[in-house]
Amino acid sequence: MANTVIGSTIVIDGEITGDEDLVVQGTVKGRVGLRQNIHVEESGVVEANVETATITILGTVTGDVVASERAELKSNCRVVGDIHAPRVLIADGASFKGNVDMDG
Amino acid sequence: MANTNARASSPTSDACVIGPQTAVRGSLSGQEDLVIEGRVEGSVSLSGHLIVAESGEVEADLEIESIAVLGQVRGDIVASRSITIERGAQVSGNVRAPRVMINDGAHFDGAVEMEVDLPDDLRKAAR
Amino acid sequence: MTRQSPPTDEPSTLIGPGIFVRGRVSGEEDLHVEGRLEGSIELTETVYVATAGIVVATVQARDVVVSGVVVGNVTAEDSVTLNAGAKLVGDITAPRVIVADGAAFSGNVAMGGEPPPPRKERRQPTRRATPKPAAATRPAAKPSTKASKASPTRVAAIPTPRAARRDEGDDTVVVKHAEVDENKRSAGKKTAKSRKKAPPRARVPKPGKRRVGRR
Repeated sequence: MANTVIGSTIVIDGEITGDEDLVVQGTVKGRVGLRQNIHVEESGVVEANVETATITILGTVTGDVVASERAELKSNCRVVGDIHAPRVLIADGASFKGNVDMDG
Repeated sequence: MANTNARASSPTSDACVIGPQTAVRGSLSGQEDLVIEGRVEGSVSLSGHLIVAESGEVEADLEIESIAVLGQVRGDIVASRSITIERGAQVSGNVRAPRVMINDGAHFDGAVEMEVDLPDDLRKAAR
Repeated sequence: MTRQSPPTDEPSTLIGPGIFVRGRVSGEEDLHVEGRLEGSIELTETVYVATAGIVVATVQARDVVVSGVVVGNVTAEDSVTLNAGAKLVGDITAPRVIVADGAAFSGNVAMGGEPPPPRKERRQPTRRATPKPAAATRPAAKPSTKASKASPTRVAAIPTPRAARRDEGDDTVVVKHAEVDENKRSAGKKTAKSRKKAPPRARVPKPGKRRVGRR
């Protein structure tokens, strides 16, 4: 269950770090470094490099993603950037441009 | 608060009252409670409780144990115990006390100084 | 995803206790901070700093409700409330300010807004430019001071508050230029103007810099 929710009208320009789950419905620019799960919802826009355990993207991510466990790109998401994760799932309909590296 | 209101209207035997038609100019000091319903200009130094009633107008620096303001004060207030600014009061000046309470509807302009205990890292940020 | 946001029908953002945000946060919904936030907050709605929340930032919002720690200046369009246990170091600028028993606060409070209503003898004191009764300008001074009362976007300084000290012993406030400038400006009554032009008034802080509201 997500604890921290960045609502759809919120814009954060800076750095988010922490040890909790994060749900992004708004806009985050900068850097995100979490140790848990990130959900970028459909309205979410992340223009940042992201470091996390798992990430599920339904919205837009522009930046490199490093997930220590899993990265999942759902249908209709838009991702531009490199993904580094041991498990990567890209659904049909996802729009993705970048490199995938499953070795680290 | 009920107490202070009661005191404002019917002073107890220990409270000195400056009535609404009275104006005092100069310095006032004492060791008992005081209710100001009139006008005081100058300075007040009390080791007791001061009530500035709704009709009270104080243009003075105040040094007291505790104070409840329902009227007007222009001046600095230093209390050793507490400062309470009630709804409808108008205070313009700097206040300092271990406890300061500003009620909704009070009008206050000035600095408030209480002891704020911050963790060290924040203390640096604060200065 | 189920949102564990605080019970409210309106959208709101929650920064949980394990999160540290450093940067600029802006938005049009309520914001609840239970974690740590550094930088600046600019919101059109309400900022709630929970008991566990730590905000080191300038905060600008419609309402601000503090139960935790805030270090930084807080500006609100409507109200700022410090609950018991709150700690605030910084200036508050808001039309309504409520400091509950048990809150700890150190800083300036500026409510802007109305001057105290004139009481019977109340002269609009120390608008810094209020004329001395010596001239007949004194009655004119009152309306003008009210009119010239700009909404204070005061620089929050903590200067010697009682600039009005000089009033002691005096019922009325003094200004000289009213007489001097009488001819120069038909607006002898407009103390605001005189204030700007007044060289003689060296000791008076510039308008807008008044610390203690002298309305």
